[in-house]
Amino acid sequence: MKVGIVGVGCSKFGARDCTLQELAFEAVSEALKDADLAQEDIDISVVGCVGTRSYELMPAVVVNEYCGFSGKGPLRVEAACATGSAAVYSAFSSIKAGIAEIAIAIGVEKMTEVDTATSAAIGGRAGNYLWEHHFYGTTFPAYYAMHATAHMAKFGTTEKQMALVAVKAHRNAAKNPKAHFQKEISVEEVLGSRVITYPLKLYDCSPISDGASAAILASEKAVKEHGMDAVWIESIGFSSDTSNMTMRESFVGLRASRLAAEMAYKGAKIIDPLNSLDFATVHDCFTIAEIMAYEDLGFCKKGKGGEFIEKGESDFGGKMPVNTFGGLKAKGHPLAATGIAMVYEIVKQLREEAGRLQVDLKHYRALSHNVGGTGHFAWVFIFGR
Amino acid sequence: MIIESRELRLRHRIPVNRIGKYWKGLEEGKVYKTVCRCGRSYYPPRAECVCGNQTDWVEITGKGIVECFTVVHSIPSCFEWSKPYRIVIARFGDVRVMGWCEDEVVVGDEVSIFTAMDGSGVWKVWFRRG
Ligand SMILES: CC(C)(COP(=O)(O)OP(=O)(O)OC[C@H]1O[C@@H](n2cnc3c(N)ncnc32)[C@H](O)[C@@H]1OP(=O)(O)O)[C@@H](O)C(=O)NCCC(=O)NCCS
Ligand SMILES: [Zn+2]
Repeated sequence: MKVGIVGVGCSKFGARDCTLQELAFEAVSEALKDADLAQEDIDISVVGCVGTRSYELMPAVVVNEYCGFSGKGPLRVEAACATGSAAVYSAFSSIKAGIAEIAIAIGVEKMTEVDTATSAAIGGRAGNYLWEHHFYGTTFPAYYAMHATAHMAKFGTTEKQMALVAVKAHRNAAKNPKAHFQKEISVEEVLGSRVITYPLKLYDCSPISDGASAAILASEKAVKEHGMDAVWIESIGFSSDTSNMTMRESFVGLRASRLAAEMAYKGAKIIDPLNSLDFATVHDCFTIAEIMAYEDLGFCKKGKGGEFIEKGESDFGGKMPVNTFGGLKAKGHPLAATGIAMVYEIVKQLREEAGRLQVDLKHYRALSHNVGGTGHFAWVFIFGR
Repeated sequence: MIIESRELRLRHRIPVNRIGKYWKGLEEGKVYKTVCRCGRSYYPPRAECVCGNQTDWVEITGKGIVECFTVVHSIPSCFEWSKPYRIVIARFGDVRVMGWCEDEVVVGDEVSIFTAMDGSGVWKVWFRRG
């Protein structure tokens, strides 16, 4: 029995002047409208929220009540920055298990209710607090920066190649009215921006964003009964890795991404992603993360990610357009909303509703790649229409 | 319009009895890993192996090789007492160790390990080049 996405919604990302539940409802009401469904039609709701940066520490029921879902779930999930994908997986599973016919996955995050230093202190706890943050003040940018120095040393990847990822992201986000940053930037601006954690500079980093997204999933039976238009989930891959960075296999890639991709490709019978998929959304929380993703997802060989961006292969018209809506880097990265915002982008693209950002479709298939922490969690989904 | 939430003060009390030797070691200038007779080594150390055996404590000595590093300029609130700091991960035989390092290093450099108190009074691992 197949499961499809029948409705999607996404709020504007950025510093948002409203509460968590109000933000969630923006995405939920758009998704309900998109699917032409009402709250009564939903059997279970899943609320993804990393939380802590927002004042409501146990937000699931608050969000559920405000969105009109009281009594339906809620199930709260958390998988750091991959929370959105874990929420979609939970909704998918409840349909697969035959418990629900129609389920909603909501991802919502308010990150701007605390200051930047507090946000960094919370994010730094996404690995292993006791052995890393407690002693050494590790932060999220620091974890990816350490991967960057390893990648640069081993493969000669340059700060300029990383900057190109940010330039592409901002160029796409400039055409996305929901993006956090809607302005183009140049390589020089990236290279000249202030150092956040060497070698990552301001423009190498995703911002601190508020945002919400929602996806409504339905069984094949419900899709037929309601006469809905579905984008099908063809396969799901997942993996994880050690909480301690010191225990990893290497720092030039994320093993969890590689294993999740292998599982998803196997499930969808994909041997060559470049000739099976039209585009991809990947987890570019930092520019080096997108470069490693090209490699870990098999878009190019290990070590060749820098060249892949330099040759424009991840741009419109390239071998694999990546992050057409601006990516986490420029569209914004409200943690739990990110994975479902990827689903939003994929559904819009596969329905050819992406306007000025529309990619040319040949296979009508796409991939989403969502990482939690620094490869602590990884999810890869293959969608088709 | 913005209103402020009531303050929530959080400071956890962490019981580290089973791995207490690690903290005592830091104060004595020693950095320990644990090893199991099944062949597994652990850093960070743990008192029991995933195989179920109790592990033995072994001091980490000799030179390490830098595998990656960063210098943190955007400092988290709980480290605001510090100037920008360099975090290094170095390999020492079958384990890798994280520490702070005041010397400039690049990937592949040799470092030696020592312990010292940081500016907030916490004993921890440091590296120096060479
Ligand atoms: C990089 C970072 C530390 C910058 O935060 P900050 O120092 O507080 O920056 P400010 O909010 O003071 O912003 C200063 C300016 O830079 C802009 N800016 C902030 N972050 C930006 C980013 N990531 N990219 C581009 N511009 C950014 C702001 O819009 C502001 O512009 P303005 O002066 O024109 O208004 C912060 O964005 C961050 O922590 N990002 C990483 C988030 C993270 O770890 N997410 C989880 C990853 S998986
Ligand atoms: Zn053992």
